[in-house]
Amino acid sequence: MESSNRNIQQEIEEKLKDEVLRGALGRFAEAYPVSRLKAYENVEDIEALRDQVKQTKMDTVARIEEVADQFVAEAEKRGAKVFRAADGPALKKYLLDLCREKGVKRIVKSKSMASEEIHLNKDLIDAGLRVRETDLGEWIIAIAGHKPSHMVMPAIHLNRYQVAGYFSKELKTDIPPDIPLMVQVARKNLRQEFLQADMGISGANFGVAENGAVGLVTNEGNGRLTTSLPPIHVVIIGYEKLIPTLKDAVPILRTLPRNATCQLMTSYMSMICGPTPVMVKKDGQWTEQEKELHIILFDNGRLRAAHDEKFKEIYQCVRCASCLNVCPVYALVGGHVYGHIYAGGIGAILTAFLNSMGDFEKINELCIGCRRCTEVCPGKINIPGLIEELRIRNAKENGLPFAMKNIFEIVGNRKVFHTLLRLAKVGQMPFQTGRLIRHLPLFLAGLAKDRSLPAIAPTPLRDTIDKVAKNPQNPTKKIAFFSGCSLDFVYPETGEAVVKVLNDLNMSVVFPQDQSCCGKPVIGFGDIETTRKMAKANIAAFEAVNPDIILAACPTCAEMWKETYPEILHEDPEWNARAKKIAAKVREFTSFVAEEYEKAGRLGEANAGAKKVTYHDSCHMRRVLGIFKEPRKLLRSTSDYELVEMKDCDKCCGMSGAFGVKHADLSIPILNQKITNIKDSGAEVVAVGCPACMMQIRGGLDKQAPNIKVKHVADILAEELDKKKK
Amino acid sequence: MKKVCENWEKVLLTTTCGPEYFEEFEAKAKQASAEIFRVKTPVEAKEIITNLIKFTNAKKVVSVDNVLQQASGVNEELQAMGIELYTSQNDIAEHAETADIGISGVEFGIAETGSVCQDAYAIESRLVSMLPPVHIAFMPSSRIVPGVEQAFDVFSQVFQRGYLSLITGPSRTADIERVLTIGVHGPSRFIVIAVDEPVSGGVA
Repeated sequence: MESSNRNIQQEIEEKLKDEVLRGALGRFAEAYPVSRLKAYENVEDIEALRDQVKQTKMDTVARIEEVADQFVAEAEKRGAKVFRAADGPALKKYLLDLCREKGVKRIVKSKSMASEEIHLNKDLIDAGLRVRETDLGEWIIAIAGHKPSHMVMPAIHLNRYQVAGYFSKELKTDIPPDIPLMVQVARKNLRQEFLQADMGISGANFGVAENGAVGLVTNEGNGRLTTSLPPIHVVIIGYEKLIPTLKDAVPILRTLPRNATCQLMTSYMSMICGPTPVMVKKDGQWTEQEKELHIILFDNGRLRAAHDEKFKEIYQCVRCASCLNVCPVYALVGGHVYGHIYAGGIGAILTAFLNSMGDFEKINELCIGCRRCTEVCPGKINIPGLIEELRIRNAKENGLPFAMKNIFEIVGNRKVFHTLLRLAKVGQMPFQTGRLIRHLPLFLAGLAKDRSLPAIAPTPLRDTIDKVAKNPQNPTKKIAFFSGCSLDFVYPETGEAVVKVLNDLNMSVVFPQDQSCCGKPVIGFGDIETTRKMAKANIAAFEAVNPDIILAACPTCAEMWKETYPEILHEDPEWNARAKKIAAKVREFTSFVAEEYEKAGRLGEANAGAKKVTYHDSCHMRRVLGIFKEPRKLLRSTSDYELVEMKDCDKCCGMSGAFGVKHADLSIPILNQKITNIKDSGAEVVAVGCPACMMQIRGGLDKQAPNIKVKHVADILAEELDKKKK
Repeated sequence: MKKVCENWEKVLLTTTCGPEYFEEFEAKAKQASAEIFRVKTPVEAKEIITNLIKFTNAKKVVSVDNVLQQASGVNEELQAMGIELYTSQNDIAEHAETADIGISGVEFGIAETGSVCQDAYAIESRLVSMLPPVHIAFMPSSRIVPGVEQAFDVFSQVFQRGYLSLITGPSRTADIERVLTIGVHGPSRFIVIAVDEPVSGGVA
């Protein structure tokens, strides 16, 4: 495959230096969420509509062969010729044979991602055919010799001056960088192509089994011309676009334009059912003929995905590209870094299935798992979840990189791992400045001028907890505290604050010493075997103390316990049952304490305090656990603070586990955006519920705004308790 | 002329449809840069079209047959003005590319999106609505469904063969720097003339 010798790191650096790209994507990322929501203003229930898309697509993929058979039969009954193409070569052979047989010389194309997927144009051109892309963006990148950098706006990486340059070169005349004028130039040139074409090739946004119709949405009108003017029309449609009935198109058409271009409907939505009339001029006379309609039903990995328990989910994609539009990494690097034609998170998945796993390996780290895409996807695809699954399969098939394997062997062995962490605090001494140093020994990477990374604490929480815990005589609940690595070894004082808050609620706290890392960094790289080992060790350690509640003050740890452990152990009935049983006891700190404070009548709105605090929503806290009201309630209940909201409070800080360290070049710009929003909020303190976010934001503020402090919600609650005691 | 459905009016009776949705339709269509003229009688439509022709200095018009247009008497007026008017299939095929204005009828509107539905089975209805820079569409103002859902209630009863289009404003692109530009491959002006007074025989 084409990607074999790519240096992703270098490509990323180049993209980060591309100011045209950064400017365009940055402005778009700002504008998109607002415009999208505006387009949904007259939709009564967005979630219900998204569920409808998801359900329709899920029902369809469950019986995809049957739906495909019906689609083919109905289309053929009406006179269409249908060819099922297993892969790119089969599709190309059919098409080239057809062109030869019919004497086709000129082809116009309206957008078809499936044809880009196999670089169809190249083969057509090599066979001596004149091929013109007619979507303006596609035409621009075709004459520029680029690949699309976005599924909906393929030329978003270029500005008007660059486009004018390509136009001038292509048309051999001087074209000024005036957008309306350039659009008219395109109209004039491509109009002649439409009128003279022997064949039109289009994609399809949906194909209807009950009547064999295909539907197309376009804005420019090129879709209507491509399907109306030439005497032959070839539709290339992937299996994932099939739907059983016409009415099933409704949820797609109510979400696709709103999500893709923030329109209520595109300018044109056309549905074609069987061959339609076409006008042909022969010997100066116009006559009506029946158009030849060919439908190529394209597989190329799609049917394999349909039968894959996890990856059948890609059938829920309507190709709106909204997942790119909200992706913090895409906003920095654009689509080309993703290598193949499908960009962003969904692109990484489609690339793995429709191109090759080798391509995936190079780009999979570009998903930081912030889950913003899952909030906008019309088909509710769990994109980060599928990427994690691909990592697991990739690691199984190809093994882990050698260095990673060594690190995970260490992390997977609690004693060795913890000994190493204790040693690290000695090793780091010379580099330490205050509480922050540049290296966190675990990850051993990522120097960055805009961020400090924390030091290992002199004494871990596990060594002090017995002294710190003031367990009551008759506790209302027995809490087993799962600290996670960060609160144990980096921020033990926050761990102590957690204990203090729980003790104050008349609860006892125990700390099982055999607990270790939750396994998130390990499964994040696809090493499921080591993660299973760690899950079992943690489960056994906590079963042994038989607690009422297992409490984590880190959303990712809580998620691992609640969701990942039962899932990765599902093939082992005994362990699966144990994991499920214990998962039911796991609670996240802020939501648990808010509930208890509420019961105790301690959540009354306190007088607004003098200090302004702003709350940063961790991606996993908000979008996996759905917790965002509770920490705010707690902050409002304090007497010292007034809660003020920052812009984009739930946008990723850029840390995302090891990503933030490994891809510092991408992590830092995302962090800087967060720092700017924090500064603009006027807050003196940033409250977080996640130790990883704390690490990242503290590192950024330390370098850029050292007067603003970062505190875990537990730290703030403990302060309040200290104040009351005084 | 080929049609997907011979009697849209009748099928529309099976779903929620009526003039009470016109206001919302108008607002949404305008939001998509469509120009909407609501008139009481077909004859009033004549004035709108003749004015437009004067303002745009149009010389050549292609038009497909529709009853509202016939009732408006606009064709006779255009001929009286010396405008080249083509209405037969072969003439439309020959002249649509160089015409200044295309006129057709559309079946109904959708309030949710500001779209109109064109029964586009006949090739000439697509030619007049795509090739000239201006497209004028006649539509009865009473035929507005509230949403996409109702539009498809209707389609699923009638769509057995042919070509159907929803048209929402003029042709547009934002492919260069995301700057909205009207009029790419299709018309740069899309004008709906909505007529209140019913004309027997529907639009067809």
